[in-house]
Amino acid sequence: MRGRDSEVGRAGVIAVVSLLGAWEMLGRLHLSMFVPPVTDVAVAWWRLLGNGTLSKAASSSLLSLAKGFGPAAVLGVVVGLAMGRFRTVRYLLDGWVNALMSAPLSALVPVLIALFGIRDTVVAATVFMFSFFVIVVNTMTGVRGTDRSLVEMARVFGAGEAALFRRIYLPAALPAVMLGLRLGAVQAVKGMVVGEMLISLVGLGERLIYYGNTFLITELYAVIASVLVIALLASQAVQAADRALVRWK
Amino acid sequence: MIVVALRGASVVAFLLLWEWAARVPISFNFPSPGATLTALLALLRSGALLTATLTSGQSLLLGMGAAVLVGVPLGLVMGVVAPVGRVARVYLDLLIALPTAALIPLVILSFGISVASSAVIVFVFSAPFVTMNAYGGVRDVRPRLVEMARSFDASWGQLLARIVLPSALPMILAGVRYALSRAFVGLIVAELLLSPFGLGRLIMTARSMFEHDRMFATVLWTLLMAGAALAGLARLEARWLRWRA
Amino acid sequence: MAAPGLVPIVVEGVSKAFGAVRALVDINLRVGAGEFLSLIGPSGCGKTTLLKTIAGLLPVDAGRITVGDRTVTGPGRECSVVFQDFALLPWATAQRNVEFGLLLRGVPAAERASTARQAIAKVGLAGFEEAYPSQLSGGMQQRVGLARALAVNPRVLLMDEPFASIDEQTRRLFQDDLLRLWSEARKTVVLVTHSMEEAIYLADRVVVLSPRPGRVHEMLDVPLSRPRESSDVRATAEFARLVDDLWKILRKLQ
Repeated sequence: MRGRDSEVGRAGVIAVVSLLGAWEMLGRLHLSMFVPPVTDVAVAWWRLLGNGTLSKAASSSLLSLAKGFGPAAVLGVVVGLAMGRFRTVRYLLDGWVNALMSAPLSALVPVLIALFGIRDTVVAATVFMFSFFVIVVNTMTGVRGTDRSLVEMARVFGAGEAALFRRIYLPAALPAVMLGLRLGAVQAVKGMVVGEMLISLVGLGERLIYYGNTFLITELYAVIASVLVIALLASQAVQAADRALVRWK
Repeated sequence: MIVVALRGASVVAFLLLWEWAARVPISFNFPSPGATLTALLALLRSGALLTATLTSGQSLLLGMGAAVLVGVPLGLVMGVVAPVGRVARVYLDLLIALPTAALIPLVILSFGISVASSAVIVFVFSAPFVTMNAYGGVRDVRPRLVEMARSFDASWGQLLARIVLPSALPMILAGVRYALSRAFVGLIVAELLLSPFGLGRLIMTARSMFEHDRMFATVLWTLLMAGAALAGLARLEARWLRWRA
Repeated sequence: MAAPGLVPIVVEGVSKAFGAVRALVDINLRVGAGEFLSLIGPSGCGKTTLLKTIAGLLPVDAGRITVGDRTVTGPGRECSVVFQDFALLPWATAQRNVEFGLLLRGVPAAERASTARQAIAKVGLAGFEEAYPSQLSGGMQQRVGLARALAVNPRVLLMDEPFASIDEQTRRLFQDDLLRLWSEARKTVVLVTHSMEEAIYLADRVVVLSPRPGRVHEMLDVPLSRPRESSDVRATAEFARLVDDLWKILRKLQ
């Protein structure tokens, strides 16, 4: 639940390289069809990329990701700010937000399908659902964690509600907002995969189901690897934005 | 007072919105709250819902049990033996960032369609969080307490049992609770995909037969069950951790 | 005696409660124009609450506070506050922090920058304009806080235990600087403190508040001559006697 920076240090490189090495060796022994050599997976990945399968699936996935995460980020921050600042809004919504944040939202995907039909809109909606609440909660926590004496200080200098928001609450909440967006981005990719697997129509999720059903293990691993890369890139992108915006820490 | 009124008002507003959406209707597949409740009662009376809940609960208990049994000791070792922690942490970070649902087809291929494969999926969804929090809990143990115990000549076992484990317990339990919420997500995706049993199957059957009131009822029930389980765990946690007050 | 621009503060029959806790009961107090007044008392005596009501940060339940001709109903332009925890914006440099009050009052950017630079120089922090609060020591952070309060050229300076989180040596130097700045540009000052030496060393008059409920218990004049900052006032018998008098008053309140 807490944001942890993945260590890109030496230990990280050693760990990943040795995992891939061990995997490759196990794979070469042909112990099990579920452990194909890493090189085979890489070859499959290259082939899928070359014949357009992967890029077509990935672009559909990324589009759904953007269509779901964009609104979730904007709305999540707005709702979070309002909940943090105004008690009325908080009491109206906090029960729902807390319950839905830890709820198995995957159960709602069939409801989305009932509403929208089997379409990629369902994927975007799932992405939204998965990422929205964590953004709201982190933003709200950030606003509520604003140092009270900063607020008093600004009021002494005559700050009204708008100035308080712009000059105190917003900058004070920014680190928490960025953390929420990072956790939200990770959740969004999870929502994307879940949504696509359940509608089984487009994107990388559909490929996962397809290769699973057709026993194409190496291709399956190639898609899993692509999904992992997208998840890491999404989290890194938000982290880069975070570093650019929050320099004072 | 006002708090209760506002929270109540938001529930009422939600139900009204739902009723309105069903009356419009925004979709032909959209049952009203009343119809959903009727379907829920019927499903409960027929026993279908309880059977499915028990099946799902079985996978959940097996998977979560394994996650705790593996994750907690692993996290403790990672925390105590620093080099192990540094390396294993990288894998955990990757597992936590990975959309775990992507592994479901692989698990189904390996374990077949069975309660066991649902349990494995629950395990895969939850174990990384249990482990990570156990690791974090050990790393957050106050060095001053360890020094204190050592000054009393505590043995390794005593140190672990009397200082490290109690100190790490709050984080471990928080990890278990978060892991449970993730486990529900995974379990339901798996059941929706596998469809031979559990609550997921009930949802999918209702959907394929266009019985949307029954589908909504089962989804609602699933969310309520998950909420109840998480709230129960939170209460248990609060009882065990009374000293934190 | 009152120089132009100096205003008195009058507190008449002020009461303030938080739920069942009576923080202030029927407080009557007059701070003369240009006077330096210390508020002291055991914890829970409502001294910070009184300061916040004068600043307009807390509404009073009964009674009236006037600063100059203005009845206090909210924060006003005459007052600046120095906070115990400094209340610096962690995301802004020292320069930006000092400019903050001017910014909220709509002062144009160029004027803001030069006024702030002067204020920073006055509190002895020239060269640290671009430092972030996290890069400054506690004493330096509070100097930024003081510079920010002075930059808007207030007639009234309200200080809430400004030196409480600063170590002893730094505190003494800072107190002398404060007295020097005050004698250069007189203001009406109300200082909340829990240090008897500080209350006496800085103020013209010390007001002792009693706790639960907060009332004005006693007032103590401080007839020590000024300027005090360059002489060894603390070493005089008169200073010791005043501290002892204050201690006798406070001891009865415990």
